Order: sequence, then C-alpha cells, then structure tokens
Amino acid sequence: MSSRRLKIASILLIILCALLAGCAQKIVRQPFPHPGARSPYAAAPVAEQEIQAVQASLRPVYFDYDQYTLSPQAQADLQYNSDLLRRVPQIALIAEGHCDERGTGEYNLALGDRRARSSVEFLTALGIDPHRFSVVSYGSELPVDPGHNEAAWSKNRRVYFRVSR
Amino acid sequence: MKRVLKGRRTISPGPGGRGGFQTRPYRSIGTDGRAAHGRRNQDLAGTARPTSGGKIRADKAARFALVSLWGILTLCLSLFSTPPAHAKLVIDFDRPGLSKMPIAVPDFVTEQSGFLSGSELAAILKNDLYLTGLFSIVDTSSLPVLSSDGSPDFEACSKSGAQAVVTGRFHANSGELVFEGRLYDVALKKMELGKRFTARLQEHRPLVHKFGDRVMEALTGLPGCFSSQIIFVGDSPPKEIFAMDFDGQGLRQLTGTGAINMSPEWAPDGRSILFTSYVNRNPDLWSLDLQSMMLRPISAKPGINASARFSPAGDTVALSLSFNGSPKIFTITPQGQIINRLTNGRGNDISPTWSPDGATIAYVSDQAGTPQIYMIPATGGQPRRLTFGGNYNTDPDWSPRGDRLAFTARVDGRFQICSIRVDGTDFRVLTSKGVNQDPAWSPDGRMIAFSSTRDGRRLIYLMDSRGEIQVPISSISGKAPAWSRHAR
Repeated sequence: MSSRRLKIASILLIILCALLAGCAQKIVRQPFPHPGARSPYAAAPVAEQEIQAVQASLRPVYFDYDQYTLSPQAQADLQYNSDLLRRVPQIALIAEGHCDERGTGEYNLALGDRRARSSVEFLTALGIDPHRFSVVSYGSELPVDPGHNEAAWSKNRRVYFRVSR
Repeated sequence: MKRVLKGRRTISPGPGGRGGFQTRPYRSIGTDGRAAHGRRNQDLAGTARPTSGGKIRADKAARFALVSLWGILTLCLSLFSTPPAHAKLVIDFDRPGLSKMPIAVPDFVTEQSGFLSGSELAAILKNDLYLTGLFSIVDTSSLPVLSSDGSPDFEACSKSGAQAVVTGRFHANSGELVFEGRLYDVALKKMELGKRFTARLQEHRPLVHKFGDRVMEALTGLPGCFSSQIIFVGDSPPKEIFAMDFDGQGLRQLTGTGAINMSPEWAPDGRSILFTSYVNRNPDLWSLDLQSMMLRPISAKPGINASARFSPAGDTVALSLSFNGSPKIFTITPQGQIINRLTNGRGNDISPTWSPDGATIAYVSDQAGTPQIYMIPATGGQPRRLTFGGNYNTDPDWSPRGDRLAFTARVDGRFQICSIRVDGTDFRVLTSKGVNQDPAWSPDGRMIAFSSTRDGRRLIYLMDSRGEIQVPISSISGKAPAWSRHAR
C-alpha cells in the first residue's frame, strides 16, 4: 500500500516539477506584431459602437521630460486601461508613443518608442495578452498641442492607445 | 602668412649617461599635409633650437652628430618639400586664428550682353567663397582692379588689399555658355589657375560653382563643395523631402507621400536617397530613386526603422531598429537584409554616423541614463563613450576629414551645435541664438548645415566649421539637412 502511494506521490511530484519548470522559464519578450499584420483579433467583428466606447474610455498616459518611466499617475491610468481591456478581449490596440517638441528628432523617435513599450509591458504584466498590442512611435512629429510652453509640452509627452480596426 | 613651426630638440643623458633624443613632430600644415609657404615672416631660425643639458660623453658625440644631422635633414625636408610649383598662395586651413584671405572677384566680362550679367555670375562665386569663412571679399566697385583688356591690374589689386584676384570672361552662343576663369596671385603677379568651361545657358549656376571648386582646390589643396546638394524635411506641413543647391537655390520637392517623413540621407553615388516615412502608418525606411522617382521599401519591421546612414563605400547602411525590443544599431545591406546587430543592452540606441574610413560608427545611446555619444567598430565590438559633458548629446555627424564630430548638445538648457575631436577633446560650442539642431558636414569638411529657429521659423542654415559665419539658406522652413557627398 505505501509503495503505491509512493508511486502516486512521485508521479505527482514529477508533474509538479514539470509545471514549475515551465513557469520558471525566462519571460520571453513578445515581438509586437506589425499594425497591418494578421492578428487573431482581426477576424472577430466588433461593433462600431463598442469600438468608439472603448476608444473614448481608454486613458492616455503622460510622462516627465526626457523620461520613459511610469509615474504613479501613469501606472494608475494603465491599471484602469487594463481593467477595461480585460472586459473586451477581442479588441486589439496600437500604442502610439510621442514626445514634446524639444530635443532632437531622432532621439525623440527612440524615446517615443520606449514610452510605448514601457506602457505595453506594464499592461502585459497586469495580464493583458501582449499579442493585442503593436507599437508605433511618432517621436515629436505629431503633437496634440502646437504651443511652445510647458502646458502644451506636458500634453504632448504621451502614449495614446488607438483601437485598431 | 606667418607659418608657425613647433619643434624642440632636447638632449638629456639617461641613467647610463646615454644621450637621448626627442623631437616633437612639426604640426602638419595645409589641408593635405603638404608644407605651406607663408609669403612673409617665415620664422625658421628662431624655433628649432637645441637645448642641451648635462654632460655629453665624448664617445657619444658621434651619435649626437649623426642624430642632429638627421634632425636637420628632417627639418629641411619638411620646410622645402615640394609644393606644386603654382601654389604659392596657400590657405592653412587647420591653423587656429586664421585670418581671412582678401580676394577680389570683379564682375565677369563679356563681349555680348545676353540675359546673363557678369556681375550676377561673379556674385555666385563671391557668395560661395564668402560662405566658407576663409575669405574676405574685397569691394571692387569703387576701385576697379581690371585693366581695359580684362586682365588684372596688379597695382590696383594691391592697393585694394587683395592677395588673390579671380577674373572671368564668358560668352553665350546659341544657348551654350562658354566661360574662362582665372585665379591670380597678386604679389607674384602670376596666374595660378586657368580653366575653361562650357554648359547650357540655364546651367550657368553649376558652371560657376564648378569653377569655384577649382579655385578652392588651388588655394587650399582640397576642392570646394559648391557643386553639392542638400536634402531636408520641410518643417511645416507637408513634411515632404526637398532638395536644393548648397547655397539654397534650385529648391525642388522630391517626395509626395502625403505622410510624415524624417531623416533623409544621400546614397554616396547621389542616385538615390533613404528616408523614414509613415506612409504605412509605421516609421519605415524607404528609398527614392532620383532617376525614376520610384519609391521602394527597404526596412518595414515593426517598431522604428530610422536614422539610416550609408557607409562611405555605399555598400552598407547603419540604422536603428526596434523590432526586437528597444531601439538598437544594426547594419543592413542597401536592399534591407540584416548584416549584424552592433549594440545591445538596456539603452535606446539611435543616430549612427560613419567615420570616413568606414571602420567606426558613432551613435547615440541613453544607456548611462541620458543620451550621450558612443563609438563602436563597424563590424561590432566594445562601445567607447565619447561625450561626458552635459546630459544631452545627440545627432552626431562625423566630419569627412575624419578628425571631428559635430552634434547637438543641450548647453545651459538650450540646444546648440557643438563639435569635438574624435578623441573627446577640444569641445566647442558653435552656435548661441535660437534652437539649433541636426548638424550635417559638407563633403569637404569645411562647413556645417543645420536647422535653427533664431529668426522665428525653423530654417536650414550654413556655417563654416568654426561657426564664424552663420547664414540661412533655405527659402522654406526645414530641418534634418543631409549634405550630398557627390558633386552635382
């Protein structure tokens, strides 16, 4: 009797080890699919009303000058976005990274890219499937506010989540 | 021009009483290392003085004699190594505190008055020479420097202060322009350059520029860049790519994508350009063939495909790609196939620029916290940090002369064009007014194009490599200039 139990226990242990080994794998960074690439979500039709409702509710996240780290406010906004996105799993998104006009064009392109990736990584860590996102940086090329002051600049240092259709 | 020699011979006995010998090498003179002859004050005798200290053993006297003979020989060779027989007037481009050479360019003469005017043609050349920062253009309107037959009146030239004078004679013949240009040394009363050009009438600007390139070659050893072109991005919508002559004339629009475009770059053969465009709603790398005006995608990976730069040989492109994570420097073929990933780590890497020998790439990385300029072998290896001053150094462009990089730095909170030697020394701030960015060297390394907002709009400006002359050249607002390596 005890040897049988032993066998079951060892089989269970082996299964448990295998599961743990799976979890202990290094987290592989998912490549973000191209906006035009076929995604498992593209096929599922989503009602236009729902798309508009989600788009209007998603919050942009904002950044400090020259930073791509997430402030507490940014993290709170991303948390809110993740709750929303969890409820509409069939929607895919483009994370658009932006900078204010200061700084040089090419480095701003890299900074915008990094801001978008930071945001998506945070959402992924909150459990949203990374395949739902693609990343596009616009650098400082597409400000929402053309002004030349901090009020305008702070609005431009953003990641905007666009529902991809 | 006074020529400075730096030489010093010291003889000091070593521990065994051996006579040591050290020579400081003479500063290389002239843009290609040839010795330049000043026309006054060749201060030879005063500087090459041996200083001896301590006792010299008698049995070392022979060695001393031999070695000092060698030193004198070197001295003589460097002084009298043959310049070309005609180049008596030479501008020592590398000398600090160089004073401008006064040059007279009287209006070009012609027998028939076609629709081209001699003063208009001469003005093209005068502007070219002025922009290099090496010349002061002598005003010949009040004091004519030409004789009645169109040859220079050297007495009048001397009186005007000119050390060199350029004359031109042209005539137009059924749509064809024939031009003869000459460069004279005023003090020696000698012609240093005589060239004849023909072109179609409407190509009169490129013709004068070509002559100007030869004048520069005669005076400095290096041809001018007056025949080159600059491409840039229009700053107000549409953000298309435009091209213009280096002096701002001949503006034309190259792209009609209707999308945001960035970072144009010339192919070394001048037949195509690369640029990043959002035509497909992603920053992808495109090539535009300038003959067919056809667009071709080169790199359209997810993430950024940007700041592409051709190697000097034209067989490799360095750029920043982020399809694999954060932006890194890669090399690709001109067709878009990945050759190698050069950088790794946690930074965002962008804006590669090649050394003129194609062996090293400088680029921007913020792996240390803020954007700084690093260097890495073009085939991969260990990066070496170049900039340590300030916390924002971006947009490097390597001078075609190989010795310096120009870049954008945030100085006292404002963006300025700066330059630095490749070993990280001799940091210089070249601009001061407005927001100044995107430096691009001329192909001869004498001038820098950049964008500046100092006059309100963001325009393309030119300056000489010392920043003494800074003038706007674009007639529309623009940024991100790239200077062609080829002549038109």
